[in-house]
Amino acid sequence: MSFMKELTKGIIKENPIFVILLGMCPTLATSTSVNNAIGMGAAATFVLVCSNIIISLIKGVTPDKIRIPVYVVVIASFVSIVDMAMAAFVPDLHKSLGLFIPLIVVNCIILGRAEAFASKNNMLNSLADGIGMGLGFTLALVVVATFREILGNGTWAGIKVLPQSYNPMLMAILAPGAFITLGLLMALMNLLKERKQ
Amino acid sequence: MKLFLRLGLILLAFCVVATALLAYVNSVTKPKIDALKIKEAEEARSSLIAGATFEALGFKAGDDSLSYFVAKDAKTGEIRGYTFTAAKTGYSSNVKTMAAIGADFKLIAIKVIEQAETPGLGANCTQSSFTDQFKGLAADQVLVDKDGGPIKALTGATITSRAIANSLQEQIALVRKDIESRQLEAQP
Repeated sequence: MSFMKELTKGIIKENPIFVILLGMCPTLATSTSVNNAIGMGAAATFVLVCSNIIISLIKGVTPDKIRIPVYVVVIASFVSIVDMAMAAFVPDLHKSLGLFIPLIVVNCIILGRAEAFASKNNMLNSLADGIGMGLGFTLALVVVATFREILGNGTWAGIKVLPQSYNPMLMAILAPGAFITLGLLMALMNLLKERKQ
Repeated sequence: MKLFLRLGLILLAFCVVATALLAYVNSVTKPKIDALKIKEAEEARSSLIAGATFEALGFKAGDDSLSYFVAKDAKTGEIRGYTFTAAKTGYSSNVKTMAAIGADFKLIAIKVIEQAETPGLGANCTQSSFTDQFKGLAADQVLVDKDGGPIKALTGATITSRAIANSLQEQIALVRKDIESRQLEAQP
């Protein structure tokens, strides 16, 4: 029961981007296209799940005073693994995400979940939390990227959806477009939430 | 004191395990990544000058880590041109271009092989509508329109366009100097 609850909370109720507002930097940077969003979401989810599992397993042997350095070592190791594995096996995706992969290290969703959840809960629940938060992060990225890619490039996941005559709205692709899209989406989510109550 | 020693040792233990793991992953992926890079460069070279075999040449003077390639016709062995890479910092990344020049040192074709410029603006530098403009230009003509050259800079990305043009111009001059000094040496 609690496994399912931990799994689903990250997707909408405690969505890391729209509700907790963590990990804004990768959100702005990688939501320019749906393909990038999925790639970034998958990579971050992998790191999040792995680091959550390891951190909940070692919570008994980690002295409180040095827990943050230990978390950073664990997270950075997994990020390096993802970086190398992606460069070797999916070079195209690795190229388009490029700089943002090493930046997963400082993605505050991952350190935030390690500190707020994995260090206090058992392995199974931490796994569920990691999957849920990762899915929520990916979902939010894809939603933001959908608006930005269609408006700014006339395509969705690389497929042309708007006619050739459409003049792309450049701002949607640039950073301000990400802030505006994110703000409008959050307003919409809060509106729906209020209606419901 | 004892506490700090204990904390340090625990942290050390974590780092040792992490390092061992990373060393293992690196040993598995490194050959694959290197092979991919070499293959990619080969593909880029043969897309610029088709039907040629390439031979690496090192610069005689200066940085010997740099090299360029001489393209010889696969059948006749005649020199068809040279390929090299040029790089310069653009707006938000290092823009790396691979270019081919003919025996007359005029550009045959260029291909942007590495960049992380602004999507929708500078990133358009990989499109053929931009790179095709470089065909047939001699080194002193490789300039964007704002600098008085024939290359129409990308809309909203003059810095990216200029980085590509200027890096090519410099590199053509370097390669040309090297080739000419080789030719001088070859003469009796």
